[in-house]
Amino acid sequence: MKAVYGLYPDGHAAQQAVNRLRAAGIPEPDITILSARPMEEYEFGRRDKGTWMWWFACLGGALGMSAGYGLSWLTETSWPIDVGGLPIFAWWPNLIIMFELTMLGAIVATAAALIASALVPSRGRTLYDSEVTDGQILVGVENPGEAAVHDIEVALSAPPGARVKSR
Amino acid sequence: MPQWGMAADLDRCNGCGACVVACHAENNISTVGPDQAARGRAKHWIRVERYWEGEFPDVRVKFRPVMCQQCGNAPCEPVCPTYASHHTEDGLNAQVYNRCIGTRYCANACPYSVRFFDFFNPSWDRPLQVQLNPDVSLREVGVMEKCTFCVQRIRGAQIQAKAEGRELRDGEIQPACVQSCAPRALVFGDLANPESEVSRLSRSSRGVKLLEHVGTEPAVTYLARLS
Amino acid sequence: MTDLTSTRINNDLTRPLLQTSWRFYALAAALGSIVLTALVAWMSQAYYGFGVTGIRWPVYWGFYVTSFVFWIGISHAGTLISAILRLVNAGWRRPVTRCAEVITVFALMIGAMFPIIHLGRPWLAFWLVPYPSERMIWPNFRSPLVWDFFAINTYLIGSVLFLLLPMIPDFAVVRDHSKGLRHRMYRVLALGWRGTPKQWHRLETAMQIMAIAIIPVAVSVHTIVSFDFSMAPVPMWQSTIFGPYFVAGAIFSGIAALILAMAALRRFLQLQAYLQPLHFDNLGKLLLLMALLWGYFVFNERLVVYYGNEPAEMAVFWRTQRESFAPLYWTMVVCNFAVPLVLMGIRRFRTIAGCVVASFAVVVGMWLERFLIIVPSLGAKYLPYTFGIYRPQPVEMIIAGATFAAMAFLYVLFAKVVPIISIWELKAGEHVSRESRPSVEESHLGQVQP
Repeated sequence: MKAVYGLYPDGHAAQQAVNRLRAAGIPEPDITILSARPMEEYEFGRRDKGTWMWWFACLGGALGMSAGYGLSWLTETSWPIDVGGLPIFAWWPNLIIMFELTMLGAIVATAAALIASALVPSRGRTLYDSEVTDGQILVGVENPGEAAVHDIEVALSAPPGARVKSR
Repeated sequence: MPQWGMAADLDRCNGCGACVVACHAENNISTVGPDQAARGRAKHWIRVERYWEGEFPDVRVKFRPVMCQQCGNAPCEPVCPTYASHHTEDGLNAQVYNRCIGTRYCANACPYSVRFFDFFNPSWDRPLQVQLNPDVSLREVGVMEKCTFCVQRIRGAQIQAKAEGRELRDGEIQPACVQSCAPRALVFGDLANPESEVSRLSRSSRGVKLLEHVGTEPAVTYLARLS
Repeated sequence: MTDLTSTRINNDLTRPLLQTSWRFYALAAALGSIVLTALVAWMSQAYYGFGVTGIRWPVYWGFYVTSFVFWIGISHAGTLISAILRLVNAGWRRPVTRCAEVITVFALMIGAMFPIIHLGRPWLAFWLVPYPSERMIWPNFRSPLVWDFFAINTYLIGSVLFLLLPMIPDFAVVRDHSKGLRHRMYRVLALGWRGTPKQWHRLETAMQIMAIAIIPVAVSVHTIVSFDFSMAPVPMWQSTIFGPYFVAGAIFSGIAALILAMAALRRFLQLQAYLQPLHFDNLGKLLLLMALLWGYFVFNERLVVYYGNEPAEMAVFWRTQRESFAPLYWTMVVCNFAVPLVLMGIRRFRTIAGCVVASFAVVVGMWLERFLIIVPSLGAKYLPYTFGIYRPQPVEMIIAGATFAAMAFLYVLFAKVVPIISIWELKAGEHVSRESRPSVEESHLGQVQP
């Protein structure tokens, strides 16, 4: 049996299912929750909040800023050309280039981090049911031990409106 | 290091236009035909502006030859994205045709409107193409061009003087307009040499700079008695 | 109840993707042929020489640069709505964000074509890219046109990503409701999206970061476009107010374009339940605010010139206000100031139809404003002997006009391929508003409008 899960029509029922699974002794990382929209008004929607995204953005920004500075400083001093009496390395215009590349670095780093994390499934979890996109909330366990299956099914069936499935 | 400059004596200029013709001949500037000229596509690197002063019947006509002022603080240079317009060490504003991609920003920035765009590929009716000056490159459609103080003559004279192992003499280099000016209104020379004629004239009490308030620091001094 | 509503939302918003009528093909063909005509016109310009345009000494910029500034300005719609309203948590933005972001991306793409179209040697446009070339030369980073290149590219990449990232959960919706080739295509696009809390956190954090990053980029983009003018010593161009003036004008025209797009979508995709009079009312108020701001900046700019009484600047000043450009100038003032003030300021007129009329006037007025900044000044620079009159030629009019068809074309295609309203954001907002029982304005689906 690859997975046992239940589909719930609203957040209350899903939260109860999660609580019952925990009471049945299922470890936190083994509980899979899927929803069609972020559900931060419920406790289950607030787990796994930690993300490195801000650090990636800052790193990308720093890389962009150094790229901007390096590009303008290196090229302008290596091939110095006099234009209109401006200094060879003029801070005011070069700040514009540095600013744009900083923001570009931050934006691209953020997007790259998101896409990379989406492409790599966490810990090999692949449980999915297309009813999730119809508004159902899925709560389940992947690869449950033989002994635990019955307890899981009992816990999942208890909340109102539950439909328990397995695959 | 010489700093090339010019002086134009407006009290001598009689508006004959020989400088314009000479410039066209020396620098391989094509004519564009009456239709295109009416649409503002003529490329007169030096032009003679004509102004009327006074009320009829006491009308006076004034002529002013305007060419690229080779500004020390040229607004056309920083705006060129490809460094086609830049400043040389000897005070010239250089236009590098091969770098130009034709954004025309330099022409907008020039307060004297002395920069011209090649709207079509320049062409000469046969057999006029045989009189083209081999020292000056032809431009293609889409690039900007302008007065260079006949830089080919400057470089040619510098090379000649170096080969002969001597210094350049004042008055030895004459751009085509200076050479063809019958009343000798146009004078060319080295502004860094205080003894040269152009330096003397630029210090004259009759001397003014065109559009001085814009802050471009032009290298051309116009001499006119204030009336 | 939630189930039904959620399914209904899915159906309403994926219907344009899954059902196609002959009208779509006819519209796409008509718009596409106009775009094709413009492409042919551009090719003829490249072949016969730039002289086929009306550009002349000394007016070296005309319709193309006007269109460039205009479309970059329109692109500020998305940033205002998505990013700023997202950061201040304005719930009414939810059905509107994607419509706006799409305008941004396509307007930027169209606007970014013009720096290439207006070049004398467009086949060498790649010289603006900083790469180690065998010519031993790099772009001039001190030139505003190179700043344009960096700014517009940053904004374009940022906007595309800002648009694409929240589409991932919606691609998952379409993936789950389609079959065959469509299913396979959307499965690839959905990047294996499942909907775990961790994925939602990551997505929302990414959106937050990008919203914070894209706002300064958007402000910088149109400021840098304004630098194309203020860095040249041309009468009435060298003004320090150009930066904020252009940004305000950009947001102004962006909101107008957004209202027009939303009205069209509401009508043609039957989205009356989602794009409600409330949204138009709010955007109409924003339009009024921007009209006032625009008027403030124009007054500032002109008063300072008028008071300075410098001959070269006054020549341009009177050209626009009293002489040859006066009809265009006063049309612009009516379109940009009088019409929005009346229609958006009086509550009775702030209906959807009123918003559409006002927005149309603003679009016309803002195009005229760009034209009137560029052409009168260039035609009357310092020396009277050099003054000139610009007459646009057919090739310029075709290309500039076809950009509107191009925008509509791209928009129609996009609405066919991606849900034009962000499904998960709509649902998220709906649930949040219902849970906390807010005032009537927050609820989007509570009142169903016919």
